[in-house]
Amino acid sequence: MAINQLSLLVLVPLIIAVLNLFLPVILRKILAALGLVWLLILNYQLFINPVAEIVIQGVAVLAVDKLALVILTFIQILAVIILVFSLKGVSPKIQKPYYVLYPLTLAFCNGAVLSVQALSLLIFWGLSGIALYLFNLLGDEKTTPETAKKTFIIVGGSDVFLILGLVLIWFLMPHNGGALWNLKIGLSGELAYTAFFSLLIAAFAKGGGFPLHSWVPDYSKDAPVEAVAFLPASLDKLLGIYLFVRIVWSLFALNFGIHLFLMTIGALTIIFAVMMAMIQHNGRKLLGFHAVSQVGYMILGIGSGSIIALIGGLFHLINNTIYKSNLFLALGSVEKKTGTNELEELGGLGGKMPLTFGFALVGALAISGIPPFNGFFSKWMIYQGILDLAKGVAPGYQVWLLVCLILAVFGSALTLASFMKFIHAIFLGRRPAKWDNISRAPLNQWLATGILAALCVIFGLWAIHLPITKLILPVIGEFGFSVPQMLGYYNPILVVLLFGTTLILGLIIYWGVRKVRLDAIYLGGMDALEHFRVLGTEFYKEIRDMKPLKAIYNGAEKKYFDIYDISGRCSFAITRLFRAIHNGQLHLYNLWIVLGMLILLWVVL
Amino acid sequence: MILPFIIIIPLLAAFLITLISGEKDNWAIVLSILAVLSLLILALFSFFTTGDETFIYEMSGWKIPLTICLVQDALSSFMLVIVNLIALTSLMFSISYIRQYSSPWMYYALFMLLITGMNGVIATGDIFNLFVFMEIALFAAYALVAFGSKAEEYEAAFKYAVMGSISSTLILLGVGILYASTSTLTMANIAAELQTVNSQVTYWVAAIFLAGFGLKSAIMPFHAWLPDAHSSAPAPISSMLSGVLIKALGVYAIIRIFYNIFGAPAVFLTLFMVLGSISIIVASYLALGQWDLKRLLAYSSISQIGFILLGLGIGTKLAILGAVFHILNHAIFKSLLFYNAGAVELALGTRDLRKMGNLKGAMPVTTGTSMIATLSVAGLPPFNGFFSKLIIIIAAVQANHIVYAIIAVIGSLLTLAYFIKAQRYGFHGETEITEFRQTISLGMKSAMIILAVLCIVTSLLIIPGIRELTLDPVVTVIMNKTGYIQAVLGR
Repeated sequence: MAINQLSLLVLVPLIIAVLNLFLPVILRKILAALGLVWLLILNYQLFINPVAEIVIQGVAVLAVDKLALVILTFIQILAVIILVFSLKGVSPKIQKPYYVLYPLTLAFCNGAVLSVQALSLLIFWGLSGIALYLFNLLGDEKTTPETAKKTFIIVGGSDVFLILGLVLIWFLMPHNGGALWNLKIGLSGELAYTAFFSLLIAAFAKGGGFPLHSWVPDYSKDAPVEAVAFLPASLDKLLGIYLFVRIVWSLFALNFGIHLFLMTIGALTIIFAVMMAMIQHNGRKLLGFHAVSQVGYMILGIGSGSIIALIGGLFHLINNTIYKSNLFLALGSVEKKTGTNELEELGGLGGKMPLTFGFALVGALAISGIPPFNGFFSKWMIYQGILDLAKGVAPGYQVWLLVCLILAVFGSALTLASFMKFIHAIFLGRRPAKWDNISRAPLNQWLATGILAALCVIFGLWAIHLPITKLILPVIGEFGFSVPQMLGYYNPILVVLLFGTTLILGLIIYWGVRKVRLDAIYLGGMDALEHFRVLGTEFYKEIRDMKPLKAIYNGAEKKYFDIYDISGRCSFAITRLFRAIHNGQLHLYNLWIVLGMLILLWVVL
Repeated sequence: MILPFIIIIPLLAAFLITLISGEKDNWAIVLSILAVLSLLILALFSFFTTGDETFIYEMSGWKIPLTICLVQDALSSFMLVIVNLIALTSLMFSISYIRQYSSPWMYYALFMLLITGMNGVIATGDIFNLFVFMEIALFAAYALVAFGSKAEEYEAAFKYAVMGSISSTLILLGVGILYASTSTLTMANIAAELQTVNSQVTYWVAAIFLAGFGLKSAIMPFHAWLPDAHSSAPAPISSMLSGVLIKALGVYAIIRIFYNIFGAPAVFLTLFMVLGSISIIVASYLALGQWDLKRLLAYSSISQIGFILLGLGIGTKLAILGAVFHILNHAIFKSLLFYNAGAVELALGTRDLRKMGNLKGAMPVTTGTSMIATLSVAGLPPFNGFFSKLIIIIAAVQANHIVYAIIAVIGSLLTLAYFIKAQRYGFHGETEITEFRQTISLGMKSAMIILAVLCIVTSLLIIPGIRELTLDPVVTVIMNKTGYIQAVLGR
């Protein structure tokens, strides 16, 4: 096996993880930081000089194409940024295992993306799931053990479907020898459909697509915040959607019905998850549901079959990892200062943590799809793709596509509403007195969130020139498609100028004609007590209590719609049935033996 | 010739232990470990020198079919390595663990008899002799299950003895019919003679054997003795029973009889697949509902035997490879899991998962090794269980048995679910456990660490160069079917 950039992308973090088993914490940090920066450089070199594949015993095992390179790039970028955040602030109790698991996870994720052979994909994919579980166990919430169990059953369990899917593909394409990707298998026959849906389960479980999403909000709440930003918000999203892109665009040749099915799943993911996000009282859970909701846009765009929407979906994947990790880390900074992530307990921290506030605001606006931030551009492309697609289908399907589009746009509006609550609950409103002595987040933390916020702006303003032209269009070209004509016109610089002008005019009016009296807050003629402050959590109480949403929300909170709990209930019902016939009575067991033998005799004669 | 020593050494050790042991168990420990260590060395030597050859030992200078013969081929050598490897770690684990019971020296004597029985079953080429050795192993197993002398242990041993006797009666009946039909007890001769016997008789005997040996392997619906027996026995014995006894007395005997004597008739391969699938699914659901850690492991053994049987039923070279590999892997990770359960029971005084808690700080070796064993049994890469299950699934798809492949996938998912449940409650629960009844000795820790390392190292057996030297000769013996006749009789 040759040692080149490809193998180094796996070996270097693996070696760091092994060395970190024996080093003191400070050296673990230094080694991880140096190693990850080196990986970033290696990754950059791959852009300039693409290297040959890694061949073991005549079989290509690792290779990199344009899509893998994009995913790899953002894995390395996010790994470095989140490591910067982690350098100061990770709980001392978990620092030692954290700095072993971190590079280890990176090695597995790099390996999974580079894999072009079924067995190596299975191994790296499975290992990344184990890393996710082990990271979860580092959390110290009361519900952490249960969440870790749930996460691993969903994500680890989906690995067996990946096995089945890949084995079936190998069966369908026996001359391919387990090599993956550009196969374009036609969806006809049970085997092809079984393979397709098995792989889809693996991709959705990892990426957090409906209905296998339910581990994401729980994980977001119960794992260390750095691990949440690192895995479900970033690396797992990249891996899950990477596999999804492969399934839809290179492994199978899908028919329109499947595209429609995927778009429906995408639209439902958007709307269900955002509706759940709106009513959350826990900051991390709120972000967790949004992480799921954003996956809906990716599924909608990538699964639609439209090239414009595919570009939008890939761009949204990148954007989502940036602003979602930004938001988790910003909340993490607040949490590390206050010791809580419950929105009811927070408030008014904008003045105390202005940089964190500013960066979180950028992230919130980006995820809500407000121009000129990156989230707007990717959503806008997805919408355009669907409209483009609708032009060429029958009227009945047009209505269907329109419904999906409306749900996506509506979901975006609800995302904005939800983040108004998030921002208000943490940074605005009246600050509880107990937070009066809160200080700013340390340099490493705001540096990390700041870089991510800057990327939200840069990728919004120069969306076409930077990420789309440099990263995504080459992927589209490699898939064999030409770059389509955009439907609408959008100039982010012009939008910024218009926004800026409006803002300046507003400030001129404010400063020029303001005539306000600043006073203490009164209620009934007396100083308002602290518990009368307006909590962000109160924002959408009416929606929560509205018929028929109330019944749906109640059901959701009781986990009636969670596939994990539904499966659990069904499984235990079956278990009870089997246990009823295992009553410990010897004569019954002897009867089974006799009956069993008689049946055997009957079968063979 | 190694094989006679494989039987003589543990038998002699058993007698010596009863003769020289006083109240203390020191000599019993030394003798047992020396005996099993020498057995393991002999087994390894046998395994690495046998290759594709078959060696015969004819007792007392008489010739086949007048004598009892011992057969050393890749399959028997492979099984001997597994039995004696697990026996050695089990003894290491037993040294301090078994001192909680009275008269521990008796334990070692019984342990040696158990090994004598298993080694005998594996080594013999005579079907009645196989029955005799099986009974030796079973009597020792009944006594060992009841070794704790509590009511539930006696009940479990009694149930085990009753159901074991039924199966032994069935096997004896089968042996009798075979002897009546072929006038020989040498397995190779029986295989040769059966080719001239009415196939109806063969099928009858095979069905009776499947019920009899199916009970020894705990295949559903002949499994009901196992959860009580394996959960009630002392932990190192549970590991011997689940890890190797059901394989030596059950699965190995099934392979030898159905492949090498009966020539793997298609109807029985289908039955293997059906019964294997039922075992995988039903036992997994039963394990899912357990709160007793050892009982959960016991049901898991039934399910994992189902995977092995499924592989044997598919019957292709690849499927047999998967089954053989899973026999080894299951012996390793299931024994380890029983050691983990034993260590936790010793430290906390309970097997109830709901009464356990967070042990990772206080029992790092037990927690860490249990995680490795869990990932192995759940079939996650890069642990050994992943590869054997993957091979079985590939083989099922390759043989166009897609439904069985899906059953194996669902079984794997359920396995993951109940083992993660065990991890969540047993080792990573909410309650921080700080007080222990007893500490875990170095011997117990060493046994756990050795098997945990093997959970990873044995994955390497799948690398083509290594596989050709280790697993492939075993597969060849099985796939050679009645080629066994020629190998043993030379004709």
